[in-house]
Amino acid sequence: MFDPKWLPTLMIFLPLLGSLLIFVTPNRWRDEMAGFMAAVTLGLGLMIWYAGGSGLLSLNWIPALGITYSVELSGVSLALAMVTAFMSFIAVLYAARRIPNPGTMLALILAMETGLLGIFAARDLILFYVFFEDALLPSLLMLAIYGKAHRMRALVKFAAYTLFGSLLMLVSIIGVRYLGGSPTFALVDLKQNLVTGPAQTWLYLGFLTAMAVKLPLWPLHAWLPDFHEQNHDSGIPDVMGTLYKVGGYGLFTFAIPLFPDASLELRPILMGLAAFTALYSAWIAFGQQDWKRLLAYAGLSHMGFVALGVFSLNETAVIGAMYLLAFQNLYTGALFLSVGMVQERIGSLDTRVGGLMTGAGALGGLTMALWFASIAVPGFAGFIGEFSVLLGAYQVSPWLAFVAGLTTIAAAAYALTAFQTTFWQARPLGGVVVRDLVHTEWLILGLPLVVAIFFGVYSAPALNLMQPAVKSVLAALGGN
Amino acid sequence: MPQLVPPDVAFLPLLPILLVLAGALLSTLLGFWVGRRTLTVINIAAVVLSGASMMFLWNGGLTSFGGGLQADNAAILLGLTVLVGTLMTLLVSLDTAWRERVSFPEFDAMLMYAVTGCLLIVFSGDLVVMLIGLEIMSLAGYVLATLQGSRRAEESGLKYFLLGAVGSAILIYGIAFVYGATGSLNYAAIAAKVGSVSNLTPDNVGILVGGSLLLLAGFGFKIALVPFHQWTPDVYSGAPTTTFLFLSTVVKVAAFAGMLRVFGGALTDAPGWASTLQILTAATLIIGNTAALFQTNFKRLLAYSAVAHTGFLAMCLLGTPALGGAALGYYLLVYTLMTGAALAVVAALQRTEAGFEINDMRGLYYRHPGYAIALSVCLASLAGLPPFAGFFGKYLAFQAAFQNGYVWLSVLAAVTSVAALVYYLRPAMLMFMPDRTPAREYAHGQRFPTTFTVALGVAGVTVLGILPNVWYGWVANPAIWQLLAGR
Repeated sequence: MFDPKWLPTLMIFLPLLGSLLIFVTPNRWRDEMAGFMAAVTLGLGLMIWYAGGSGLLSLNWIPALGITYSVELSGVSLALAMVTAFMSFIAVLYAARRIPNPGTMLALILAMETGLLGIFAARDLILFYVFFEDALLPSLLMLAIYGKAHRMRALVKFAAYTLFGSLLMLVSIIGVRYLGGSPTFALVDLKQNLVTGPAQTWLYLGFLTAMAVKLPLWPLHAWLPDFHEQNHDSGIPDVMGTLYKVGGYGLFTFAIPLFPDASLELRPILMGLAAFTALYSAWIAFGQQDWKRLLAYAGLSHMGFVALGVFSLNETAVIGAMYLLAFQNLYTGALFLSVGMVQERIGSLDTRVGGLMTGAGALGGLTMALWFASIAVPGFAGFIGEFSVLLGAYQVSPWLAFVAGLTTIAAAAYALTAFQTTFWQARPLGGVVVRDLVHTEWLILGLPLVVAIFFGVYSAPALNLMQPAVKSVLAALGGN
Repeated sequence: MPQLVPPDVAFLPLLPILLVLAGALLSTLLGFWVGRRTLTVINIAAVVLSGASMMFLWNGGLTSFGGGLQADNAAILLGLTVLVGTLMTLLVSLDTAWRERVSFPEFDAMLMYAVTGCLLIVFSGDLVVMLIGLEIMSLAGYVLATLQGSRRAEESGLKYFLLGAVGSAILIYGIAFVYGATGSLNYAAIAAKVGSVSNLTPDNVGILVGGSLLLLAGFGFKIALVPFHQWTPDVYSGAPTTTFLFLSTVVKVAAFAGMLRVFGGALTDAPGWASTLQILTAATLIIGNTAALFQTNFKRLLAYSAVAHTGFLAMCLLGTPALGGAALGYYLLVYTLMTGAALAVVAALQRTEAGFEINDMRGLYYRHPGYAIALSVCLASLAGLPPFAGFFGKYLAFQAAFQNGYVWLSVLAAVTSVAALVYYLRPAMLMFMPDRTPAREYAHGQRFPTTFTVALGVAGVTVLGILPNVWYGWVANPAIWQLLAGR
């Protein structure tokens, strides 16, 4: 029988293989090729889930440097990997229809999927770093090839912020191993050779910078709105960008086990920053008149919640954060695609068009349902995530939980206002006839919504997957 | 009556150098009868043979001239790196020399003389052999920089010559000081003297510190360490692109090899030089990277990037010889491959020797897809993005400095790397942006030898990035680098 330990490796590199194969596939089969590869990758994820997670595969990659190839998909990482595979599949589906001659875009989506799956599967710090940076290259290329007029500024901003963080993380990574005296960079070994004292705090700060940029956490968030605004109208690069917000996961998997004392020490400050990020970005989102910027700030606000959950180091809150992190990708990604569909129909991303509902009822309906998921209406997956985060954070710091809780009100305000001004209101005079959803568009918006509702009503499968992983990570803190 | 002792001359360890020298002599003599391209092919053969002879000497540990020249494993690893750079230069020159108006046999002859000097430095076992190699390399280099009959080339050559001569003078002065302090020119003997400070009287310590600092300054000119870097951007961007390729890879590798021999071997335990070098390295990182940020010409950008990379490479020298030597051994090969391939693309596509403007690179992907992808791989590697080999080079440099206690320098290097990423990524991304204006490149630059060079570089940085052990496995053995000074 095939050893399930090898499944994650297969799952990681299959999309990359697909992305290379696209260039040798004849033009008319490219869509099918990419779709097939993305679907098989998702299937592999389901197989791993069915098997109850893969074991840890560890090979010596560069023995002279103590760098290992350690991968494992189980618990939280499996959940995130499956959402990634699912949303990549949706993105492929939409790109194939929406973008003329989509070969390059499909190849980039698949290449990025490899990087993302690698991030979630990596159990070695250097390997994590390698995938962390690898996911960056396709996203930069997407922005460069398909972006809008001011993409260069957005691109440089995005790259500079991201890489600034990750290079400090690299120094931290070197320090973690050297000062702790671990034989390899594998997480297992590092956990047994922890750095102690003030050095731990400094290394944590280096690590935190990278993750805070990716999360993103105020004040390191400035790249995000530009990144989304300048990306292609279809919203496909935005979906992949949403998946790239792996900061919360990195903090959870690496930072808490490796820097337990420092995480406890800095907890109040970081929770404060997270709560502020959530509320502040919701407030900014309220003032946006560009759908993409609005969605970018909405996503930022969600990430504030994720950060609040992770930094609070409370079991309920951390589970909630991971739940939110996983499912936020579904509905925010789908919303980006719905914005892309709106843009395709009326040629504008403005939130004050008005009257879309008369022509495109199904598009409006599905978008509204997705917005409900986004603002955490009970019955959707987002609610379980946000509620758990608040519940857990309340036990640690009631006041900060209250501040963050205000965000839910702000979220309802910005989401419903924007939705109302775009889809309802009066239809503008001389407005074009707006076509409703056709063909695969139903699937593209419907499937993520179905999944979000399913896990909002029946959360047990996902919770069962995450709970043991969260418990074992928090055990590093000495039963906090 | 004193007995006449015949000098210890063994020819076997000299073989790699002699083969290259043979290429140089043949180019000088046959130049009257044979075309330049034939000479280039002969030289390529000489370089390949020299590489093969190095493989043959692996693990031999042979010496000649009583330890004045040593063919140890460190010499072979760095020598192979020198030859890789030379091979890339020769291949590119096959296509572009006539366009650069340097298509005469003297170009090949000078190139091979310079390589001979480089290999002498790499194989050196004492300061005099090192100096001879350095002078051969430099003199040939001055000629190479001036060979093209243009104002820009003359200016750059003269600048190179004047500053290089000052550098050499300082270096020689430093050698004299070190000799004065230790009474020897042989690396191993100096290391033995310096290793136990009790052998030195207090006066001599001062002389030793002075000597090592003068040596540092002398080498600083050759590797373009700030503040001795001012000639670099002008010389590199003013010289023909093939010469730029050669000067920024082969010559730099050789100069770093010399530094590794002197500071990693002979003077490891000498006081003073490391603390000075860390400040110079910090300055190089800051100035090299920020200056590159403001370049509008791609060739000049690459020239400043060469300065910035000097900073990263110099961090390796601050590590312990075992770690730092291994890091430098790996990084230098990777640096040669990525810089060589990037400049090969520039050489093929530029219209004039000024290179091209960064804005002219817009949409290159749609006109020369192969070269554009190759160039962006090189730029990503230069920027240190995984999975390309530049990442591991940078990583090893950081690690070497960090583990030897230079934590703040590692953090500074990380911060300045952000500037590096910005200036490398901007052209890389511009190439992929759609563009409707007519092409601004030389249309017929895409030829087989250049394409082969580019492919070699790109394949090299990709394979060495995914499987660093292919090369690092060879250079990682600490025993190699602990014997830098010889026995």
